[in-house]
Amino acid sequence: MTSDEIKDLILEIIEDIDDEADFASLDADQPLRDQLDLDSMDFLDIVMELRKRHKLQIPEEDYPQLASLNSCATYLEPLLKDA
Amino acid sequence: MRVPLLVIGGGLSGLAAAIRVARFNSDVLLLEKHVRLGGLNSYFYRNGILYETGLHAITNYADPTEKKAPLNRLLRQLKLPRKKFSFCQQLQSEVIFRNQTSLKFSNDFALFQSEIGANFPQAIDKFQHLLAFLTDFDPFADAPFHSAKNFLLDLLQDPLLVDMILCPLMYYGSSVQDDMDLSQFAIMFRAIYQEGMFRPEGTIKEFLDLLVDHYQLLGGSLRTSCGVDRILHQNKKATGVILTTGERIDCDHILSTIGHDETFQLLEKKSGLEDRPADHHPRLGFFETIFQIPEQSAHHLAKNKTIIFYNDAERFSYKIPQDFIDFSSGVICFPGNFEGMPATDRREIRSTHLADYARWKALAEDPALYKKQKKIAARQSSQRIENIIGSFTPNIVYENSFTPVTIERYTAKIGGAIYGNPTKTKDGNIGFSNLFLAGTDQGFLGIIGSMLSGVSIVNRHILPRL
Ligand SMILES: Cc1cc2nc3c(=O)[nH]c(=O)nc-3n(C[C@H](O)[C@H](O)[C@H](O)COP(=O)(O)OP(=O)(O)OC[C@H]3O[C@@H](n4cnc5c(N)ncnc54)[C@H](O)[C@@H]3O)c2cc1C
Repeated sequence: MTSDEIKDLILEIIEDIDDEADFASLDADQPLRDQLDLDSMDFLDIVMELRKRHKLQIPEEDYPQLASLNSCATYLEPLLKDA
Repeated sequence: MRVPLLVIGGGLSGLAAAIRVARFNSDVLLLEKHVRLGGLNSYFYRNGILYETGLHAITNYADPTEKKAPLNRLLRQLKLPRKKFSFCQQLQSEVIFRNQTSLKFSNDFALFQSEIGANFPQAIDKFQHLLAFLTDFDPFADAPFHSAKNFLLDLLQDPLLVDMILCPLMYYGSSVQDDMDLSQFAIMFRAIYQEGMFRPEGTIKEFLDLLVDHYQLLGGSLRTSCGVDRILHQNKKATGVILTTGERIDCDHILSTIGHDETFQLLEKKSGLEDRPADHHPRLGFFETIFQIPEQSAHHLAKNKTIIFYNDAERFSYKIPQDFIDFSSGVICFPGNFEGMPATDRREIRSTHLADYARWKALAEDPALYKKQKKIAARQSSQRIENIIGSFTPNIVYENSFTPVTIERYTAKIGGAIYGNPTKTKDGNIGFSNLFLAGTDQGFLGIIGSMLSGVSIVNRHILPRL
């Protein structure tokens, strides 16, 4: 997957968690949680969906790397390069 | 047979936990001893009519737009669209301390505040301090028991106001005599006063059916009339269960929702908690009666009151009574008095009082005497609450009571204690690497509480390892 495809994937997962999520003014460098009103329970869903869809096991200590859309792409790109 | 996750108990905490896991991994098996799901919050039929066992009102009402509210967060975690539900909000409830004063409240918190201002003008500033304290307080941090009563007496300096604030919160969520844990107080204060109460427009059966259909669509499996007889374990690790039929199921993880000591009974092992002297951790029992009267004879009963929490005694006492039942305080619920509930030809009234399990248990040895005592108690209850809501006893066409023994029989809860063990295991950890506790004895109580308990323990201990 390319960096852009990964970002789309993340947005698709978030939309699935919260169908009213508003991406219009999303800043890709800022934390997703604050901008989209997500809490830590919702955040776990992103990790679980990545595991379900792509068999990715993301260790808990790496969760901070998924904070913003851009950091997600950076962190996931090597892991999803063949996906 | 082998499954990755077994959930023991098909009450609301077990159902919520199982749905949460099934969203990501359909290999979940939910085991329920009773023929029906729902546990304390279930239903039964008499003469073809459905009666709800344990529903007065659901706490934590929130509008669909309040994303962070516990109710909406819970539905999101379970992937249940809010649109699937039709919720009816309470009209108005009241705490009535007879010959003293009363406080009305509704889903608009401003009403409660203005009632406190009007009835306790000297305490209103202190009440604002309480609200400020609660805004910053994290009730979900793992903290030891802290007396909410002492905290409130210190802060508000008014024992009557403290009792009146605590009365509904204790009845709807304290497992501790004459007190509650400060964290639990903070959770219940928000759940009941700041958010408020509602019920589904349909019956609890429809609510449960919706949860079960959703669970099965996600691929989860389910067995009812399927009691667990023993949990197999080795070196602090559970390996499987033996059912009452003798069948063995192996598993990688277990989530038990049946209670702390109840789980240790299945482990055939001491929990370490039972060494405390018995009078330090008594379990609270309740006596609940459903009364129905024809609608045409109910005109004089309030149409705008949903729930009344009353106390007639000089001081409110929330402890095991010295008799079968303590009628000096209780809860009166009108299940029909929610906004937008469909009209029916019968008016239902429910009453709840504290009861002494030991007395009822001893009496149950003699079924005829037990039945007779239930009848007497139901009559005493209806006559007592008539002082508050007006006469209805002569018009009763249906009546059914549950004692702590009934609760014990149907949900296997020790002492028939609805709120379980007074000592809670907030982190769900009971000393095993793959066996965790959720539900009543984890500590989040009530319908929304128990469901959030299932979800949060799964999030914390099961999902990261599955
Ligand atoms: C009369 C009454 C009125 C209530 N009113 C309200 C209300 O108005 N609002 C509110 O929010 N809450 C109310 N509650 C409280 C609420 O029902 C409970 O807090 C909540 O349902 C607890 O859910 P749980 O899953 O933790 O426990 P339970 O419902 O007790 O679930 C445990 C399940 O485990 C099963 N089980 C036990 N042992 C075994 C075994 N060995 N193998 C397999 N299964 C087993 C039991 O049969 C049961 O189904 C009321 C309760 C009662 C009894």
